[in-house]
Amino acid sequence: MKYEMMDAKKIIGETTAEEADLNPNICVVSTDSAPRTGMGKFIEKYPNRYYEVGIMEQAAIGVSAGLAVTGKVPVFCAPAPFVTARPFEMFKIDVGYMHQNVKVIGRNCGFNYSDLGPTHYGLEDIALVRLIPDVVILAPIDASQLRGAMKAMLRYEGPVYLRIGTAPIPKIFNDDEFEIGKGIVVREGKDVAIITTGEISVNVFEAADKLAAAGIDAMVIAMPTIAPIDEEIIVKAAELTGKIVTVEEHFEVGGLGSAVSEVCAKSFQVPVKRIGVPQTYLSSGPYEDLVDYCKLSVEGITETVLEFVAK
Amino acid sequence: MNDIKKLALEIRIEALKMMNHYGFGHVGGVLSVADAIAVLYGKQMKYDPKNPKWDGRDYLVLSKGHCGPALYSALAIKGFFPREELLTMNKLGTRLPSHVDKNKTPGIDMTAGSLGQGVSCALGIALGLKLQKKDNMVYAIIGDGEAQEGQVWETLMIAPNKGVKNFIVMLDNNKQQLDDFTDNISPLRDMRQKAEDFGWFAVTVDGHDVEAINNAIELCKASGKPGFINLNTIKGKGWPAKEAISNNHAFRGPAFAGVDEVINNLQKELEALN
Repeated sequence: MKYEMMDAKKIIGETTAEEADLNPNICVVSTDSAPRTGMGKFIEKYPNRYYEVGIMEQAAIGVSAGLAVTGKVPVFCAPAPFVTARPFEMFKIDVGYMHQNVKVIGRNCGFNYSDLGPTHYGLEDIALVRLIPDVVILAPIDASQLRGAMKAMLRYEGPVYLRIGTAPIPKIFNDDEFEIGKGIVVREGKDVAIITTGEISVNVFEAADKLAAAGIDAMVIAMPTIAPIDEEIIVKAAELTGKIVTVEEHFEVGGLGSAVSEVCAKSFQVPVKRIGVPQTYLSSGPYEDLVDYCKLSVEGITETVLEFVAK
Repeated sequence: MNDIKKLALEIRIEALKMMNHYGFGHVGGVLSVADAIAVLYGKQMKYDPKNPKWDGRDYLVLSKGHCGPALYSALAIKGFFPREELLTMNKLGTRLPSHVDKNKTPGIDMTAGSLGQGVSCALGIALGLKLQKKDNMVYAIIGDGEAQEGQVWETLMIAPNKGVKNFIVMLDNNKQQLDDFTDNISPLRDMRQKAEDFGWFAVTVDGHDVEAINNAIELCKASGKPGFINLNTIKGKGWPAKEAISNNHAFRGPAFAGVDEVINNLQKELEALN
């Protein structure tokens, strides 16, 4: 691997502690998993701003909403399904509808917990949170963006959901600048636009090189904010290339691919090919095997794009 | 205590008027919780109707959010908004939705409606105030049907271990839920004992005796623990023909037949106290 690999949990913990130095209102709510989320440093520095409630994600969201009523900025981090699917209604009402300044982090998203199987996969979290109006959804592309997204999230006034895999993630970008709501053109191209989110994006960047070698000039857009989606960059890409591929470690339904398709359907209709996880319950197993199966590997993405462009 | 009794009667009168005017409302629970709300707004809670966000205020989270009309009546009587506004409940664009909403109504600090959620939110407020070293009180009112929700038990487990002393949960234990008597569905049994076992200072009182409710709150405040008050109440209290009978949860249209006489009688009781 040509990129330096970094510990996502360490970045989450460090940025939370750094921002907590600047903002005394930042606090951490945990459901029996804060140290495993990298919050050890925060807990050590600010034990009175740390709330370990036990294994009760519903109450954790409610307690977070209550803390926000008193001006606190609670950060609640746990595996993605347990902060989205399980307490969905609390997320909807206590965080979304009330527009509380609560920050929810879904870690180990996608197939990160491949050894644990479908109960622990985070494959529908974007779809669920997208249904809740006015919640910002962030899915940083690399370690630098994770650092930037954490800071941007903690400084933003309003509800935010950040999803990240917590296996080692690559450091691709040099600086950690992060603007909520903006996509980034990582590579110019005219034959097809590949729009990608989350740390699976590293495979897209490599696939673009392979596509170039095969004579396909692919535009690559990194989309670290899924809600609100950057409509302008999607429409421009559609106008320029006429064909869009989306890539995400999430169900094909309801995530980035759906968000991009909705923009195209509304504003500039072009064919959209979604590469993601099929709507089924996949086995537990080695991470790389699952990624291969879903054609999210460099080879899978390259082949799928070549087939799509040839149509 | 005479003033609190009067306030409780006024809350019942205004709430019945507003629900009847709209043609729908959760009459049973609104009437059972009226006395507890009267003690809070007539005696215990600190608030400023002209400045609902005053940072010295106490907080009430009506976790049984469908009983909004009881709380709206108290807020209107105390001057948070004009009494005439009560009749706008549930009209399009109203500030008074049937279920309480923090972003719509002056004096409401937490949205509720989906049962079990408000009490967790209330604990969050208490923790936030504690972190700021403030002693504002936080009250949450839950229903007995609501106590079947697992999230209520999550909160019962968390609070005593977090050292919150400014937090009192009141259970409007009217022993009935939508379909039937709670005991016929999933009985709660001794809620006071359960709360005590989790580490709360817990008492059971007559939920229609305003003096007893007030004393219970004082005992909770002095206990150094989060307080749990099991209010022994009657669903539909104040509308004799509807008290503790089946199907007295929510009324629509014709079910309000006879409400004028009930309001008149409550009015007479009020005048007798004057």
